[in-house]
Amino acid sequence: MAKDVRARVGVGVVAVGATALIGAVLLWWGGYDPQVAAGAMFRGSFGSWNTFASITLVRSVPLILTGLAVSLAFRAGVWNIGAEGQLYAGAIAAVWVGLRGATLPALILVPAVLMAATLGGAAWAMVPALMRLRLGIGEVITTILMNFVGIYLAAYMVHGPLQESRGVFPQTDRLVEAARLPILVPSTRLHLGFALALLLAAGLAVLLRRSTFGFQLRAVGASPEAARVAGRIRTGRVVLASFLVSGGIAGIAGGVEISGLTYALYEGLSPGWGYTAIAVALLGALDPIGVVVAGVFFGALQAGAGAMQREAGVPAAWVGVVEASVILTVLALARLRAVGRRGGS
Amino acid sequence: MSEVLARLDGIERRFGSVVALDGADLILRAGEVHGLLGANGAGKTTLLNVIGGMLRPDAGTIEVGGSVVSFQTPREAWTCGIALAHQHFALVPAQSVLENLALGLARGWADPVRDVRAKALKLMDRIGLRVPLDSRVDHLGVGDKQRLEILKALLKNPRVLVLDEPTAVLAPNEISGLFALLRELAAEGRAVVLVAHKLDEVLMVADRLTVLRAGRTVLSTVPGDYEIPDLVRAMVGADPVDAIAIGVDVEPRSTKREPGESVAHLDRVSVTGGPGVDLEEVSLHVYRGQVVGVAGVEGNGQRSLALLLAGRVSATRGSVTLPEGLGFIPQDRSTEGLIAAFDLTDNVALALHRVAAYQDGPWLRWSELTRHAETIHERFEVQATSTSVLAGSLSGGNQQRVVVGRELSIATDLLIAENPTRGLDVAAAAFVHDEIRRLVATGVGVVLVSTDLDEVLALSDRVFAMTRGRLLEVDEGQRSREGVGALMLGGAFAHA
Repeated sequence: MAKDVRARVGVGVVAVGATALIGAVLLWWGGYDPQVAAGAMFRGSFGSWNTFASITLVRSVPLILTGLAVSLAFRAGVWNIGAEGQLYAGAIAAVWVGLRGATLPALILVPAVLMAATLGGAAWAMVPALMRLRLGIGEVITTILMNFVGIYLAAYMVHGPLQESRGVFPQTDRLVEAARLPILVPSTRLHLGFALALLLAAGLAVLLRRSTFGFQLRAVGASPEAARVAGRIRTGRVVLASFLVSGGIAGIAGGVEISGLTYALYEGLSPGWGYTAIAVALLGALDPIGVVVAGVFFGALQAGAGAMQREAGVPAAWVGVVEASVILTVLALARLRAVGRRGGS
Repeated sequence: MSEVLARLDGIERRFGSVVALDGADLILRAGEVHGLLGANGAGKTTLLNVIGGMLRPDAGTIEVGGSVVSFQTPREAWTCGIALAHQHFALVPAQSVLENLALGLARGWADPVRDVRAKALKLMDRIGLRVPLDSRVDHLGVGDKQRLEILKALLKNPRVLVLDEPTAVLAPNEISGLFALLRELAAEGRAVVLVAHKLDEVLMVADRLTVLRAGRTVLSTVPGDYEIPDLVRAMVGADPVDAIAIGVDVEPRSTKREPGESVAHLDRVSVTGGPGVDLEEVSLHVYRGQVVGVAGVEGNGQRSLALLLAGRVSATRGSVTLPEGLGFIPQDRSTEGLIAAFDLTDNVALALHRVAAYQDGPWLRWSELTRHAETIHERFEVQATSTSVLAGSLSGGNQQRVVVGRELSIATDLLIAENPTRGLDVAAAAFVHDEIRRLVATGVGVVLVSTDLDEVLALSDRVFAMTRGRLLEVDEGQRSREGVGALMLGGAFAHA
């Protein structure tokens, strides 16, 4: 076990190192000064306590949550590429409950908003889950397609039924105070959602390691045949539950973003967190604690990208290239490790 | 002495740090059926793959027809007149039988398939092995795949025919048919090499014997020069011997154990849509303290029967009564019995996590599970440094020890064992047989479903034959290879 953890951390460190190298070469090739860019990037993400808390950590919240959603699904052998759509479904449900229940006290309204977000995300995941279990249709395609439905449903909502009362901007009304998550650290933008993400990660870690459901989930993910025959596990139920829990967590990411940061739903709420989540989950070795670390890393990358664009003139799209190279490096390293182990024994 | 068709001299071959062949010699003469003997892991398959051009040796020479050759590909070996029928089938699952037969025979632009159909039909008529030509290979049972593999080699009209374990999944009458054919081929001036792990089968047909042990040729002789115990000693060295596994103890059990109360009951049960043929109106009582043996050619419904008795599938019609303490040893330990990426504790938990004693609300009692895994590790002498070793890194025999240990510990009423010794070496097979005997003595009911007729005969109190989804009890007087074989016979051609 300890050896396993060390190996996974090793993969992460090598992946980050290789990514930095690839990133520097690309910057140099594009005619930028890698040193200046790196400086800007560091200042933009770790430069001060306020920068770190208000930008890096705030950005890491949806990445950690969607990363947890994706990693849990992957552990169960469910290839949920649909965190983006589930996030939007959660955000729509959250904003709807938040606006409808404006007269309720915060102690009731905030939990109701988060519950709605969870159910919205889970409902979104239910569609591909049933299509796989009842019809045998692979979830990779269906979850991706459900992303578009979710993204455009949100766009329709802010242009139509949920548009703000003046009917000018493509966004919803702002949530009342009672529907908002409290600020975690005074004088920063860091909201309770970050604590929630950490708590959820710890809970999932314990669930996976110690609980019957977590064990069954890991077994089904590692070998559905053995889980069914040797473990007498009803694999269909475990797959369904994994879809729903994964979708629910992605939904929470949407709800937390609305209730903790933006206070309203608008088009383009997520800059693709549901996709970046795949990189977060893989870099975090599909382990909840690893996902937290990877989520903060990607939060810092995105925070730094903004500063890099302002100070060094490097387009923020460059960070997309970096994210892609992290995924490719992690996949390549995992493969190389498997091959190396076979040859060595 | 007749002409030497092929000579292998001092062949060495290693895979990573594992030495598979370490100075193996083999001389193949025209007109001879050559039996290659050795325990599992002795290097038989590796040596055959060297002859067939699948593997290149690290050292040693191969002579064919008097000149030294070095095969880069199987096709080069084939050009020299050598054809190999594989034990682990080399077939394309998504293609039809006919297309598989035509594979490699294609020349230029001609459509090979039409030509091959006529040849294949003629060959099947001549040798009595039948395979449905238009079925897709992934829809075939193991028996049909084996027949196809043999046909494929024969279609190449080889001078040297190499057969790796062709008999393991064939019915007794098919085995004798195959052996008659091998004699005929030898009489035509060809050389035949045969691997079979059953000693008495090899002795039935071979003109010459070569024994491999630990990758080295330790004996080359003609049958009759050595007694069976000497051959066994040459095969296994000082290792413990399982008489059943090498086929020298095939006598049916003479003393019958007294049956206890009924522990499982099938009452006119049918199962449709499972693997192989459907089960039809199967009735069976399993009693405490007795072994029920079920023999049959693969694909006749015994897989469904095993899964049904193990509670893994439910009946379409009829009633099934099963006890609480039920253990199941599935036939494929690496994909169904164990999770390769899990450590031993997790793999023990796989079967035990549903037992109430190991649960605490939604949590599992991991300290209890770990202790239980350690007990199995010790008691069943699993060769692993600790219980946190991944199951996938163990050898087949040690994997089976984990599965057997785990299932025995929950089989307080009934154990279902499905081909429990397939692919195991002699020592590991002996271990499994001993454990089954010990379990029965404690009053547990056992159902042994196996394609290994000798195993069924030697261990069972009551013997059944499975043919075309029906279960027939074998009378005392009929309990011999030939007797049970006759009952299985119908099934052998059921889907041909």
